[in-house]
Amino acid sequence: MLLTTSVGSFPKPDCLAKARTQFSRGEITEEELHTLEKKATAEVIRFQEEIGIDILVHGEMERGDMTTYFAERLEGFGISGLVRSYGNRYYRKPVVLGEIERRAPMTVETFKYAQSLTSKPVKGMLTGPYTMTDWSFNEYYPTRRDTALALAQVIHQEVADLEKAGAKYIQIDEPALSTRPEEIDLAIEAMTIVTKGIKAKTISHICYGDFSKIYPRLLDLPVDQLDLEFANSNFANLELFRNPKFTKEIAVGVVDVHSHIIETKEQVKANIKKALEVFPLEKVYIDPDCGLKTRSVEEAQAKLKVMVEAVKEVKKELGIK
Amino acid sequence: MIRTTVVGNYPKISSDKNVPNLRNALNQFDQKKISKEKLEEVYKATILRVIKEQEDAGIDIITDGQIRWDDLVTPFAKNIEGCEINGLLRFFNNNVYYRKPVIKSRIAFKDYTTLEDYKSAKANSFKKLKVVLPGPLTWAKLSLDEHYKNLRTLVEDFSQVLRKEAQRLDQEGVEYIQFDEPSLCNFPQEIGLVKESLKIITSGLKAKSILFLYFGSIKNLTPELLNLAVDIIGIDLVSKPENLDALLKADVKKEVILGCLDARNTKMEDEKEVFKLIEKVAKKIPPEKIYFSPSCGLEFLPHENALKKIKLLSSIAKQFNS
Repeated sequence: MLLTTSVGSFPKPDCLAKARTQFSRGEITEEELHTLEKKATAEVIRFQEEIGIDILVHGEMERGDMTTYFAERLEGFGISGLVRSYGNRYYRKPVVLGEIERRAPMTVETFKYAQSLTSKPVKGMLTGPYTMTDWSFNEYYPTRRDTALALAQVIHQEVADLEKAGAKYIQIDEPALSTRPEEIDLAIEAMTIVTKGIKAKTISHICYGDFSKIYPRLLDLPVDQLDLEFANSNFANLELFRNPKFTKEIAVGVVDVHSHIIETKEQVKANIKKALEVFPLEKVYIDPDCGLKTRSVEEAQAKLKVMVEAVKEVKKELGIK
Repeated sequence: MIRTTVVGNYPKISSDKNVPNLRNALNQFDQKKISKEKLEEVYKATILRVIKEQEDAGIDIITDGQIRWDDLVTPFAKNIEGCEINGLLRFFNNNVYYRKPVIKSRIAFKDYTTLEDYKSAKANSFKKLKVVLPGPLTWAKLSLDEHYKNLRTLVEDFSQVLRKEAQRLDQEGVEYIQFDEPSLCNFPQEIGLVKESLKIITSGLKAKSILFLYFGSIKNLTPELLNLAVDIIGIDLVSKPENLDALLKADVKKEVILGCLDARNTKMEDEKEVFKLIEKVAKKIPPEKIYFSPSCGLEFLPHENALKKIKLLSSIAKQFNS
């Protein structure tokens, strides 16, 4: 009960960030970059073990953008020129140009490597078909539904391969789901394909949105666990889930990943207790609001540490081992 | 004769590696490797390029590309009293972010936001210029109101700020002033509030005023939408195809901007399809009252795709007019 985990990404150490730039300029080989990614992954695993996280993530050291990474590995996708996302930040957006197909497993090797470093479970981490659709340009399929369903097929193949490789937890993120409430049926239809016949525990992380427009329909998303942000809105959205009752497992975001400020243990404990007023103890997992990649390594570590300490104390107070 | 225009923003960096790159310049400025003057040179060169690209493509009414704008709401937030700027939030249903203004005390005009940019664009352009401002409802809805706790009074006070900005632009002789009001599609019940605000903002202006609604549906806004105190209504016909029916059913006396090229997808439209769509509208609204544009700002596209879209826009309009 109250198992601790993370949403997915960790900040990349400076040397890896630099190596990625060098690689993009052709100054180092793929192998050299890969060696550094493995080293960084091992460090992410080691840190989570050291502070006592229960369900580990591999940190996504090999990924830049969460959609582009998959688009680069799937048949049918191209990559656009630069598009600004905010301020002076730009990214290349995937473009669907043809029939989407999977050439080979995209994340299984990285998962196996990360899992080989620890006896604790490591999550398989994927981006969901709805989000891949919403965050790509589409020049090929007639409709968004066609695109999403084609993506659902290939992501299902990846989920099945991760399960075969031993993943006990597989997370399929759908952060775009809350931005177009009118398309939740499509997101559910696509996820039904993705998780069909899968025995591993499936999770979906959703963020940045007004959940009131998609709740309780959200409970029909065919995954075992939803992972939602709460800390950055100071749990303003919590009451929503009281009625109708939340029926799935829930991973509760208790630290704000968009703030430099490290929460105090007391604050995090209060957040956990707030969540327990609405969600039944046996269904609650504890994690940060979202991926940690926008924080510095020190900030990310400090946030996770305070989170684990807070959980320990709450468990003690509740008499849970 | 239908005329062409863009909606507002335009990609800030070029696909051509030989022109000044604003992204690099901003990075270098942040790292203190270049001076403020040098950064300003790159800004100016970028704005000139953006103006020239629209002129060369044959666009009739152009903008300066809103090159200095990070998003639709923060430039004004920086120039008014009573407002701070907070963290990033998603801009409507796009994978693009804006910084949320936070209203801390009564808001009031502090400085002009678009005046200097307008003057410098005017000095460098041969075409008619349009200045784009956030609509009163949209600006208020995208802000966090910690002071008024009342949408109406916030919108009223922000409308005064917009009025002052618009009047000053009008004195400079600007030809078109546009208010972007995408939030009205999400809050059609607020059309009365928008109506009152626009009356205040546009009264006495010599410039043509435009209200542009993108991303959403106008289904629940007609016929009132066509009676607001602006000269021109801009409509996104791509995001919501139903908007065409709503427009065709309404009694339209105003001029209209038809946003028919998808500014959020790289796919190029079929010229014939778009041509047919304009023809349909032109049966109801005289062509001299029709403008033709992308569905929203072009900054959702990479530069090379945005450029292709404005060339297509111009080519379709030419065919239609010939």
